[in-house]
Amino acid sequence: MTSTSSRPLRSRILAGPQAGALGIIGFLATWEIACRSGLVDDRYVPPASRVLVATVQYLGEGEFWRAVGRTMSGWAIGLAIAAAAAIVLGIVIGSSDVLRRGTHSTIEFLRPIPSVALIPLAVLVFGTSLRSTLLLVVYAAFWQVLIQVLYGVGDVDPVASDTAKSYRLGRVARVRYLVWPTALPYVMTGLRLGAAVALILAVTAELVIGGGGLGELIALAQSGDAIDKLYALIFVAGMLGVAINVGMRAIERRTLAWHTSVRGEVAL
Amino acid sequence: MRRPLMTVAALGAAALVLASCGGGDGGGEKTASGDDKLTVGVIPIVDTAPIWLGKEKGFFKDEGIDLELTKTTGGAAAVPGVVNGEFDFAFGNVMSVMVAQDQGLPLSFVTNGTTTSGEEGKDFSGVVAPKGSDIKSPKDLEGKNVGVNNLKNIGDTTVRYAVEADGGDPSKIKFSEVAFPDAPAALSKGNVDAAWVLEPFLSKAIAEGGTVISWNYVEMSPKLDIAGYFTQDKKIASDADLVKRFQSAMNKSLEYSQEHPDEVRDIVGTYTEMDAKTRADMVLPKFTPEFDRPAAEQLGEAAVKYGTLKKAPDLDKLLP
Repeated sequence: MTSTSSRPLRSRILAGPQAGALGIIGFLATWEIACRSGLVDDRYVPPASRVLVATVQYLGEGEFWRAVGRTMSGWAIGLAIAAAAAIVLGIVIGSSDVLRRGTHSTIEFLRPIPSVALIPLAVLVFGTSLRSTLLLVVYAAFWQVLIQVLYGVGDVDPVASDTAKSYRLGRVARVRYLVWPTALPYVMTGLRLGAAVALILAVTAELVIGGGGLGELIALAQSGDAIDKLYALIFVAGMLGVAINVGMRAIERRTLAWHTSVRGEVAL
Repeated sequence: MRRPLMTVAALGAAALVLASCGGGDGGGEKTASGDDKLTVGVIPIVDTAPIWLGKEKGFFKDEGIDLELTKTTGGAAAVPGVVNGEFDFAFGNVMSVMVAQDQGLPLSFVTNGTTTSGEEGKDFSGVVAPKGSDIKSPKDLEGKNVGVNNLKNIGDTTVRYAVEADGGDPSKIKFSEVAFPDAPAALSKGNVDAAWVLEPFLSKAIAEGGTVISWNYVEMSPKLDIAGYFTQDKKIASDADLVKRFQSAMNKSLEYSQEHPDEVRDIVGTYTEMDAKTRADMVLPKFTPEFDRPAAEQLGEAAVKYGTLKKAPDLDKLLP
């Protein structure tokens, strides 16, 4: 593929956002038809149109926006803590063979523990406060980023590494000019994975523990038998996920503008 | 072994960061006007309407209490919340607190919360069989799969009692966990043969053609108290005056709610997502200040018999 003009017309029309929008419209239409035709019982799953109405009603409510704010702050603070800790630890561990081999089994043991299994602990220590949510979010997102950072650090070209050593680059300079640029694409992947997981855990924590946020509104709608609102909130949670993914991709493109994985799309 | 310790240390550091980014609340604080600040953990369901109504009516303010109500979505946070001091009091069902006491947690009730209406055919709790089911009375539940919101609690204990009282074998019932909001769908889909359901979902299940085959609370005892507000024993001892004032405001709220069902239905709309029709249709529990001790004894005995509790509850400690 040498230039865009040689691509078939169809694939150009259905590029990027348009294809995405078409996908969403198709999904909503299928949903609507499934409910209207009686394929699914609309007492339990309301049609898309009713859910959209409930969503729009929510947009005018202060309480709703406070809930979104709380969920997003749990997400953002949690992700920031997890990312900072994972990047620092990942570079430290990844830069040393001894450390890397020594921590391997511990990491592989701790990583698969589902964050939700920590809910009883979180409630006992932090109650219904934001800290409970943060504990779960940080735990889940931390491993996603850490593993990627470890891979990234391990990917440093040995020749480049030797060259840096023979030019007597110090430890800090090596991290700055060699390890960091090599690991950055991995870090961004880790962040993107971590961001999605962090949102899931933020909502789950609120749903199970309470204390505010979108998750609590979902639990309230469920226990109040407000089915339309329930699905509206789930829809909003999905849209937040989409927004987060779009945002993370934009950040990724910007920070990696120099990297072949991003540059390649245009130049090759 | 330095390496694994590093990750542990890092997690510990993260936990410290988490611990420091929020102030600890709890008892002992006073507001500018000299009122005592109290935080109470409540489940946002109709059962807790009296405390919301009492707050709105100023019953707590009259006792010098600045009341803050924190919603806990399930019962999950209530007991830990009281144990770790986040809540001064919390709303919990009688069986949950009996179980906590059975496991050695020093928790006791300070006031009543909800009581069965005591009338078969008009209570807020029942076991529902779906349309066309051959289950007609409690003893027919033998060998059947019955949904309850959680196991080893007030639901399965009272259902077992009702089955035995009706001449069935309570050990032959299979219980599975079905949350109340999911019960109507689980029944109509046939996932369970019958389900224990509370309002407002009981009305919904009946409206969808279900039949109530057991009014399990009433069958246990027409005076059965279902839930109340509990706290740690040490708080009852150390904050006797504050506990007394909370009890007095709470009792006033319970009496007021019992006399003003319309206001109860209105206040429920402020802290739940129930629409006006659901609120108008649902059957309300009874709100009364006094715990009925014989009924609690009966529940405790049944719980021991069916293995929910290891030993009979110490009601002198448990009840106010």
